[in-house]
Amino acid sequence: MVKKLQGEAFLLSANELRTGKVVFFTKKGWSSSTREAIKIKADEINKYEEISIREEKKCKIVSAKFVELDDAGNIKTLRDKIRNCGITIKI
Amino acid sequence: MYKYSDTDKKIIASRVKQFENQVNRRLEGKLTEEEFKPLRLMNGLYLQLHAYMLRVAIPYGELSSKQLRKLAFIADKYDRGYGHFTTRQNIQFNWPKLPDVPEILNELSLVEMHAIQTSGNCIRNISSDHLAGLTINEIEDPRPWCEIIRKWSTFHPEFSFLPRKFKIAVIGCDEDRAAMLVHDIGIRIIKRHCQVGFEIFVGGGQGRTPIIAKKIKNFLPKKDILNYLEAILTTYNQEGRRDNIYKARIKILVQELGIERFKSLVEENFSKLSNKELEIDKKSIEEIFQYFRLPPLKSSSDKIPLEDNQEYKNWIKQNVIPHKIKGFSIVQISLKEPKKPPGDATSNQMKALAKFSEDFSFSEIRVTHEQNLVLPHVPNKELFNLWSQLKKENLATPNLGLITDTICCPGMDYCALATARSIPISQKISNHFNNYCKQKEIGNLKIKISGCINACGHHHVGNIGILGLDRRGEEFYQITLGGSAKEDAAIGEIVGPSFSETDLIDAIEKILNTYKKHKKNKGEDFLSVFRRIGIKEFKKDLYDNFTEKS
Ligand code: HEM
Ligand code: SF4
Repeated sequence: MVKKLQGEAFLLSANELRTGKVVFFTKKGWSSSTREAIKIKADEINKYEEISIREEKKCKIVSAKFVELDDAGNIKTLRDKIRNCGITIKI
Repeated sequence: MYKYSDTDKKIIASRVKQFENQVNRRLEGKLTEEEFKPLRLMNGLYLQLHAYMLRVAIPYGELSSKQLRKLAFIADKYDRGYGHFTTRQNIQFNWPKLPDVPEILNELSLVEMHAIQTSGNCIRNISSDHLAGLTINEIEDPRPWCEIIRKWSTFHPEFSFLPRKFKIAVIGCDEDRAAMLVHDIGIRIIKRHCQVGFEIFVGGGQGRTPIIAKKIKNFLPKKDILNYLEAILTTYNQEGRRDNIYKARIKILVQELGIERFKSLVEENFSKLSNKELEIDKKSIEEIFQYFRLPPLKSSSDKIPLEDNQEYKNWIKQNVIPHKIKGFSIVQISLKEPKKPPGDATSNQMKALAKFSEDFSFSEIRVTHEQNLVLPHVPNKELFNLWSQLKKENLATPNLGLITDTICCPGMDYCALATARSIPISQKISNHFNNYCKQKEIGNLKIKISGCINACGHHHVGNIGILGLDRRGEEFYQITLGGSAKEDAAIGEIVGPSFSETDLIDAIEKILNTYKKHKKNKGEDFLSVFRRIGIKEFKKDLYDNFTEKS
């Protein structure tokens, strides 16, 4: 997970194991909102990777990943934006 | 329609139990994701961008009303009220929750359905012609052969861990409506000197290396089909590459060895097969054919009702084709209603269709690889009645084979592998060309859209193919021209630099203008013009004033 990362700041995200729902890591645990998600600096990645492994072991989440933020602190890539905001089409 | 034997039922029920156990162990932490992933994939369960996705097999695209109703029930109870019909005649649910999946599989098993072999490196759901058994020029119904192959391939112990996934399609006439030539194995039923047998093609596929299948056998007697397939699969299993996922499909093996060398290896394996159990006798073939007999359709001189309603007339012209039994029609239901993701059907639409199939089509529904549905046996005299009811459910869009009848994969709205979105592109096309007369003027044209090079949306074989790319974080779309998934299968040629989402419709308009300019007569369709004039003319018109410098 760490190797490919570029960029300065990230959020730790994952899918909830039971529902598949996209969640972000906050001080109080996992939340579906990015509002309180912890902003992670590049040099803290290892620490949070360990946290994600621990959380996966607890069967709370699956497929943890770091979501890159842009200079303004917003989610950078379209894929991650869609992951966060949901599908862009009407059903 | 095929009915499960007691053994089939037992196998499916025990598989559900087995998976329930695996899910429980996963939820309790007794299985890691690494251990669980191959198990869930074997049961059609993926993890997508923002949810799990369950892919359910619809063998050779055939559904009963009872099954369709069950799919609607699942969509309502466990998902968000809709399902997505795919280019491999499957259906995908986009939002199931992991603890619910065993229950969903149990519900499916009650109507003889499952999600086995809809994923993983095994022989996948066998696909076929959605008009199987319905047309006059068919040599033989391909569905019984699909079923025979399905029985042999499901849980085949040697072929559960192939180098890569394996897709087989079977058709029963010259016309290819199943994209047979872009399958790992394509089988066409043919007649030679009054004997019916098979023509076998191998090594077709799409993805990042699109290849049209090559003929490996001119004529194979019926009894040998399973032995010959076993020989091909054994050769692939032994020789196929496992070191590189991008080179693991059989198409790469056939390409690397050359068809002649590959064929000689297959023939060698074929001659060695002492397993006479795989030879099928007439009696067992006949037994399977019994399941696929036509319902009792009484031929009649009933004509299609003439009504003074332009929309109805358009629909008849576009979506309805003659059945081989006089007095009946095949009704094609477009799932390309404007503003809807191609291939999606709501649970209400599924329920309505289940009812219509009972009222008008002997409870039968077919799924097409072009992501539409079919009511196969509708009495002519009921057509206006049926149309009026379909219209109420937004299921009477008259666009079969026209520019808005796009094939489209889920793209970045759902798929974790996507490089761009694809559904919004199909919706743009659909809005832009919404007018029936405008579409008719353009004529038959297949646009196929994929959200990445994996090509689930068949873009390589679209007359116009659209591939979503990620260019420095922005969505761009590469256009290919001249592809075909039919009997004259061809891989499209890249027309040039890609287009932004904003410029894409304009580019399509320019391509259509080139086509119109060179069209010799009203009947000459896009693909014929392309083949006659080549890609250069299109490039010239498309890029003359184009400022993008990529
Ligand atoms: C969970 C979402 C999906 C994933 C992860 C996925 C993955 C892939 C991959 C990796 C390939 C390339 C295989 C190769 O080149 O070896 C592929 C091809 C293909 N997929 Fe999908 N796919 C997904 C959804 C779909 C859907 C929704 C459809 C139908 C609309 C579909 C139908 C196909 C077809 C027809 C091909 C090309 C045929 C071939 O295998 O050569 N897939 N898919
Ligand atoms: S083509 Fe790519 S984006 Fe589309 S469904 Fe397949 S893997 Fe996903």
